[in-house]
Amino acid sequence: MFSLPTGQIGGRELFVVEFGDVVNYFSPYTASLFAFALIFTVIVIISRPERMVEIAFGGDAYLAKEIPTKDLAFQRFMAIACGLATLAAVVSGDLFNFALFTSMVGITNIGIVAAVRSRHVLNAAYQYGIVAMVATLPLFGAAAITLATTGSLSLWELYRAGITVPFVAKAFLVLGVMGEGMAPFYVAKAEITRAPGAPYILMIHVSSLLVFLRVVEIALSM
Amino acid sequence: MELVYPAGALVILLLVSAAFFALVRERDDLHRLLLTELVAIMTLGLIALVATDLAEALILPGLVVAISELVALSQVYIAKEGLAARPAKVRRIEVMDTAPAIVAAILVAYGIVLSGFSGGAIAAAGLVFYFMGHGHAERFALLEAASGYAWAIWIGAFFIFMILPAYWFFAVLIAGGAILLKVMVKLSLIGTMRGDPDV
Repeated sequence: MFSLPTGQIGGRELFVVEFGDVVNYFSPYTASLFAFALIFTVIVIISRPERMVEIAFGGDAYLAKEIPTKDLAFQRFMAIACGLATLAAVVSGDLFNFALFTSMVGITNIGIVAAVRSRHVLNAAYQYGIVAMVATLPLFGAAAITLATTGSLSLWELYRAGITVPFVAKAFLVLGVMGEGMAPFYVAKAEITRAPGAPYILMIHVSSLLVFLRVVEIALSM
Repeated sequence: MELVYPAGALVILLLVSAAFFALVRERDDLHRLLLTELVAIMTLGLIALVATDLAEALILPGLVVAISELVALSQVYIAKEGLAARPAKVRRIEVMDTAPAIVAAILVAYGIVLSGFSGGAIAAAGLVFYFMGHGHAERFALLEAASGYAWAIWIGAFFIFMILPAYWFFAVLIAGGAILLKVMVKLSLIGTMRGDPDV
């Protein structure tokens, strides 16, 4: 019933999940991204958080950082929500849904970082949040421009050879994902990586990597 | 359409560059947070420029994303600056002790008759008035729970739309009832904003 137009880089669709006119698809490419995100979400659900140990410089003393369970629980919830948003973003068959789930990844990333009660980390989270919020403009703008010029948001339509998506929409899409899903890579990486809470903090990097790989597929295929 | 869309896009582009310029110039953290909201409104303008029914449906999620990011960032700002709420003095007015229950009952009953979004707004007006008259301390958790269940029922109705479209009428009734509850609960939170803690 559904068949992806040939020539797109993700390969043929293996199977589709149909929600009305929004049709999510699993091609070899998106299925492997999905599997990776799923594995990491399960790791976040079952693993115990690390205890950060700081070594005093110049001696053999060390101190273990104590993090309240309440903060860890919030961080874990946000990490799981981030994993679920990533799962949805990598298989989305609709440009607007992709934008929505990417911004959800951004919001949950802010949540993961903001759970750390350290002034430097909070400052970094705030600056990242401002970038993420500004990035909703190119992200949703890309979807709006695509809809206005081609009349469709479905990737099944946009991948067809006859339909040309304007370059500005593609550029906006990549720019929006860079700001929204990938901001920690360049805004606050040092501060965020220094924050305690190992498997949860790493979810930020996993989600931004997967969302970026997906946007590459979308931008090249349409 | 041929001329209107590029012209509108040009206007939006000018406004966006103004907003970004202000964002670059601004140094105060709180003011920058407010300026990001300006950018978010430009996003809604860009979506609204499509000017079809679909655009109307896309504005709402865009707005929700902008507001949720604003709320999240405000929380980060509060934690970052170590701000705490000041206890406020509540003014006592005699008529506010007796009138709210009757007025609220009438408005809620009428809202249930209307059902859906507008019914929720009417019923909420009654509840806002009620909570403004009375305290809310012990009912707050109940409101949150009701809102959560209403949301879950609403989403369930959407799943019926998507998976079993033949039962659309059933789904409409469920969604109408749930959105009534949801809008009512959310708007009634306004009535609890009287300077009490945790609100």
